[in-house]
Amino acid sequence: MAAIHAPARTPWGARFKDAALAAVVAGALAIPLIGLHAVDDAKGLRIGTRFDWVAIGIAFVFVGRLLMGGIRQFHLVNPFQPLAHGAARLRPVARLLPWVGIGFAIALPLLPFANRYVIDVATTVLIYVMLGWGLNIVVGLAGLLDLGYVAFYAVGAYSYALLAVNFDLSFWECLPLAGVFAGFMGVLLGFPVLRLRGDYLAIVTLGFGEIVRIILINWQTLTGGPNGITGIPRPTFFGAPLTATPDEGVTAFHQLFGLEYAAVQRVMFLYFLILVLALVTNLFTLRIRRLPIGRAWEALREDEIACRALGISPRNTKLTAFGIGAMFGGFAGAFFATRQGFISPESFTFIESATIVAIVVLGGMGSQMGVVLAAAVLVLLPEFGREFAQYRMLVFGAAMVLLVIWRPQGLLAHREPTIRLPRSDAPI
Amino acid sequence: MTAALLDVERLSMRFGGVTAIDDLSFAAHACAITAIIGPNGAGKTTVFNCLTGFYRASSGRLTLNRTSERLRLERMPDVRIARAGVVRTFQNIRLFPAMSVLENLIVAQHNELMRASLYTFGGLVGLKSYRSAERRAAEIARHWLERVGLVGRADDPAGSLPYGDQRRLEIARAMCARPILLCLDEPVAGLNPRDSAELARLLREICDRERVGILLIEHDMRVVMDISDHVVVLDYGRKIAEGAPDAVRNDPAVIKAYLGEVDDAEKA
Repeated sequence: MAAIHAPARTPWGARFKDAALAAVVAGALAIPLIGLHAVDDAKGLRIGTRFDWVAIGIAFVFVGRLLMGGIRQFHLVNPFQPLAHGAARLRPVARLLPWVGIGFAIALPLLPFANRYVIDVATTVLIYVMLGWGLNIVVGLAGLLDLGYVAFYAVGAYSYALLAVNFDLSFWECLPLAGVFAGFMGVLLGFPVLRLRGDYLAIVTLGFGEIVRIILINWQTLTGGPNGITGIPRPTFFGAPLTATPDEGVTAFHQLFGLEYAAVQRVMFLYFLILVLALVTNLFTLRIRRLPIGRAWEALREDEIACRALGISPRNTKLTAFGIGAMFGGFAGAFFATRQGFISPESFTFIESATIVAIVVLGGMGSQMGVVLAAAVLVLLPEFGREFAQYRMLVFGAAMVLLVIWRPQGLLAHREPTIRLPRSDAPI
Repeated sequence: MTAALLDVERLSMRFGGVTAIDDLSFAAHACAITAIIGPNGAGKTTVFNCLTGFYRASSGRLTLNRTSERLRLERMPDVRIARAGVVRTFQNIRLFPAMSVLENLIVAQHNELMRASLYTFGGLVGLKSYRSAERRAAEIARHWLERVGLVGRADDPAGSLPYGDQRRLEIARAMCARPILLCLDEPVAGLNPRDSAELARLLREICDRERVGILLIEHDMRVVMDISDHVVVLDYGRKIAEGAPDAVRNDPAVIKAYLGEVDDAEKA
């Protein structure tokens, strides 16, 4: 299934034509984008030209396209190929991988190279892992392409922020409420889109994501509009705040454990908090996949009409998928709010939804380990790319293109059956 | 003969100006195979779609006589019709291709397992009664895998099976949903003569041993004549003949519909 067919040999003439076409497109794009630039000199602001750059760009695209044809033709090394071919042989390794991952995640903050920056980035990775796992229920299992997942993330974040700021509820009281509200929103969105599928569903969910964001901007009295909500309480260690100077009569975390206060304690606490939340999400998903509802989700992804013919209600199946997926988005949102201490609608734009969908799709639809890998790649690549300064998005884009060429089905697309035929010891 | 399992009375289905089924009445009995035949476009699959709730019939009455109750199928949504025991297969096979063969058969038992898992909540906490229900479901699945000869492929993705195996798996899956009326839309289409004879034998066996009524759409006349108890012939949405296979085979109206008449050909 994963084998990539060697394409038929294309004659040189066709390859030149293809490369020339790419060069024309590159030229059309490059002339306004690169060829013209604003020059600020003594005479004021004027438009300068640099057509030599354009020529270099076009030549680069032409040669690159020609070479790419060659790469495909000679079927050069595909770094992911062994991964696919050795899937059966690698099974014991694959089974060990999650445990190694969890062990590494637990040990990470204690490792010598771990500083505040590393833990912060790791926390961000874990937020995306959790969001990816949540969306995986909707997209990967139930096959409902949801481009507005960030809406539930926002509902969770605002639920926590508003409840904590206005009603003085603690993080642990708000967390389940945030999940419930987000899940409720998921079901609410589910109703109007029950009959939609594929592209149409994607467009409506995208719209829903935008609606939620615009409501957050405009409902000034409740959400504070574009200014957002500030002063969101930090989480407590079961009532013990992680601050240097706790309020009168309150024991802080470091006092509770007789430690010296350090700012990194809170960062580490947040890290472990999201680690636990993410692992709970994963455990839940692994478990529910083996229950009738989980199998119905997958069956729905495979063939909705066959589901109906077997008496499986697509309505209930879709609504539970939307609801449960949204619930985990809400949990992640509550965590995000407490971590940042400040939220505004800007954090919940479409690009976030797109990133989460990209994580699920890149990881390999429905694959839990794939989500981890893809979240790490999507968050870390721009981080490592910082050295390339303004070119980091270019590096990022190039990496995406390579992935799409080599692993169109996602990084880890292998699916394990949820039940195997038990040995027949006893006659029926 | 006892009361019919399914009574179709004056069923009509119109799509705009086109009448796909015109005033059709027939009955199907339990433990009997009722075949619906007719040339392409005669409205056979439309009958199935009306019966199973995929289409809403324009007029007519569809009654399913269960032991305890009478159900008016034309008023029920498809999901409830399937739960009431009318389960169908499709002309173009509709399996869950990425799921394993066994999973396909387990999914067919969804509603029972859903109850056993206390609508997921009991399953999440690992209820013992759910685990045993799942084991029972797997045993039912094994039983049907043995009947269709696919035990060895139980853990393979359903989409990786050869065509003939997929056909049989779809029937096994329908049987796992515990039907009282099994509607098969061209089950032997595309099979070679040996496989289709074997499948015909299986259908006869299902009908006799499981006491299920079978409604069969089929173009393969050998199969139809071999295993059917009753044949209904449609042409342009109308019933043109009905009766035992032998009687239908020699009916002039049927021969005309299939082979055409010299006059007809000239007029066209």
